[in-house]
Amino acid sequence: MVDEKKSKQRHRVMVFESMYPVLALMLILVACVELCDAATVVDVYRLIQYDISGVPFGSRFSSLNHHAASLSFQRGADLSRSVLILPLRELDIGFVQDYISQKQSLGGLLILLPQTFRPGNVGGGGLNSENDGFRKLLAQLEKILVHGNIPFPVYFAFENEETDAMLADVKKNDALGQQATATTGGYKLVISVSEPKKIASPIITNIQGWLPGLRAEGDSNQLPTVAVVASYDTFGAAPALSVGSDSNGSGVVALLEVARLFSVLYSNPKTRGRYNLLFALTSGGPYNYEGTQKWLKSLDQRMRESIDYAICLNSVGSWDSELLIHVSKPPDNAYIKQIFEGFSNVAEDLGFQVALKHKKINISNSRVAWEHEQFSRLRVTAATISELSTPPELLENAGSLSDTRQLVSEYAIIKGVKLVAESLAKHIYGHQGKDIKIFADDSSLAVNPFYVRSWLDLLSQTPRVAPFLSKNEPLIMALKKELEDYTAEVSVQHESLDGSFTFYDSTKASLNIYQVASVTFDLLLLLVLGSYLIVLFSFLVITTRGLDDLISLFRRPPSRKVKMG
Amino acid sequence: MTLFHFFNCAILTFGPHAVYYSATPLSEYDTLGTSVKAAVVYLATALVKLVCLATFLQVSETEVFDPYQEALKAMIGFIDVAGLYYALAQLTHRNISQNHKFQAVGLGWAFADSVLHRLAPLWVGARGLEFTWDYVLQGLEANANLVFTISLAALGSLMWLRKNKPKSLIPIIYTCAIIIATMPSITSYLKRVMGWHFPKIVGFEIATSLVMAFISCQLFIFCQRPSL
Repeated sequence: MVDEKKSKQRHRVMVFESMYPVLALMLILVACVELCDAATVVDVYRLIQYDISGVPFGSRFSSLNHHAASLSFQRGADLSRSVLILPLRELDIGFVQDYISQKQSLGGLLILLPQTFRPGNVGGGGLNSENDGFRKLLAQLEKILVHGNIPFPVYFAFENEETDAMLADVKKNDALGQQATATTGGYKLVISVSEPKKIASPIITNIQGWLPGLRAEGDSNQLPTVAVVASYDTFGAAPALSVGSDSNGSGVVALLEVARLFSVLYSNPKTRGRYNLLFALTSGGPYNYEGTQKWLKSLDQRMRESIDYAICLNSVGSWDSELLIHVSKPPDNAYIKQIFEGFSNVAEDLGFQVALKHKKINISNSRVAWEHEQFSRLRVTAATISELSTPPELLENAGSLSDTRQLVSEYAIIKGVKLVAESLAKHIYGHQGKDIKIFADDSSLAVNPFYVRSWLDLLSQTPRVAPFLSKNEPLIMALKKELEDYTAEVSVQHESLDGSFTFYDSTKASLNIYQVASVTFDLLLLLVLGSYLIVLFSFLVITTRGLDDLISLFRRPPSRKVKMG
Repeated sequence: MTLFHFFNCAILTFGPHAVYYSATPLSEYDTLGTSVKAAVVYLATALVKLVCLATFLQVSETEVFDPYQEALKAMIGFIDVAGLYYALAQLTHRNISQNHKFQAVGLGWAFADSVLHRLAPLWVGARGLEFTWDYVLQGLEANANLVFTISLAALGSLMWLRKNKPKSLIPIIYTCAIIIATMPSITSYLKRVMGWHFPKIVGFEIATSLVMAFISCQLFIFCQRPSL
């Protein structure tokens, strides 16, 4: 009997020993914990990260793996391993400012924006007062974030049911004082992307279209040229959301419509004017109009000298009764007087006003606030038509988060197009002072509102931050094709964005929201299961072998001693 | 702690089988071979069932309770019973008593069922960060299934291995066996037609399994008396 038991034990030991390699393999497999699909996945857009002359700005990190916390956290709690979820509706600018300026450590920041700010969300909301308040708040927030050096990841997301539910849950837990950590459960937010890398040599692309005028027989002189220019790229707090409907989507749409109207006029030699027309879509606008400068320098000198004047369009989409013409030459300059008179006469006919604003160029200051200043620095007469009355600061008003399609009115753009087109036509055909309307409504040369609307909608859904646009970006190809339809010669110029600006990639990511249970819960469950198994064991022993056997299990050693004795 | 959760659910799903083996006299009589043979028979039965299901059943996209399909599934479920019959009656086991034979066969059968049906989802699902109650409920279901299988094995051994049964009890034995054998159909009916959620179904399964175990235990004891 004893021998049998001993052999049985040896057999058991051998079985266990043979299982060691299997156990080792299991342990290795077990160590590779994969993250399953989360219950909720949300698209998030990262704050921009850039350097100016080596000085870092924006959010410097991109990956995130922390518990969620809300604004209802207890004062003095440590948030360095939590992601703070801030809905725009409850944003307290002072709080954010304090957090950033005092350099307090935070695991991450997730800002929830209302659905009305989503690009492509055309309906609903619009220009009511609640949205106005949000826009102002958003503009302030962007200013702080874009100009600060933030040592934690900052992401923007749009509110939806799942984030609302999660936020309500997190707030409830925070209010009870249970902050989410590894031991108390809650929600875990995970964004797994690689570290952001510098964009090696960002390319800016200028597209130029040339519409030649009618040269008289035997006349070999260079015809004078009128240029219409607009910059098409944007810059904003979240580059993947920077659609810039007003700045400068409206300008691009206006330029395309003017090009279309003049291409109709110029297609017939009888109506072709004696001026060449040069249309340019430039890039690098937010960065002191670097693209415009490079484009001008690349132009043939004779062509540059033949430019009578250039009209730059910047933000013409949300004005009501007054449009501003900004110049850098003094207002009493003869050319400027002539241009302004032409524009104001046309404006009067159309039922609104234009005003002239003069800003001197400071050669020593590298800041270029308006596009026409790049022309003036090269001795070309130019003016910028804009609804903005003050020159925008560096990296502002260039396509912020609040600049969405709802802010822009097609009617304003159409009025702007009429103004530019009629004034140019009066200058080209020499109709100054005469009461002739070429682009009248209900004529074959009327401004096409559907064209304006469709291009505006397209631009309002396309983020256009220049360093993130490749050479053959679909939008650039589309703009090039459009100009090819309306002009005789189109050329595309690629330049690299040199100088002080450096950008980093990783602008869009997926946020996984996991609902996690705490360690205490797992321990409790283990305790419950352990006691269940023990109870089951005792029950089975009692019912099949009797209570004596159960007791004898615990009293075996003493009984053996008795036997030996 | 995700591995922790996996470990918890694993011991809930597979622990009771090990406990049953070690607590009852099965371990003393070393009936592991019987259980292993029963597990192999279960594997073969599962394969045959799969082939039949694939051949005869039409896959419906919606969770609609189709009586014809369910009847077909129930008939295929009887292949289970046939497998159990083969494991109990036809296989040669070592000289172990009736009492222990059906327990060992039931245990091996239930363990194979748990491993096949629940190990893979547990491995893939319970290790993730996201927490759900599903795997704990699945473990409880495995426990109920163990009780069901042992009860079915007991009734099966009564039906096929015992020749002298009191005439009055035969219909009860057969009714109970049919109820246990059609449990899958009953639960799917509850899930689809009555719209019960998983926790409710698991609760129902546990309650029914305890009732069935009690009834079959009584029947077994009753049938054992005349032979004494």
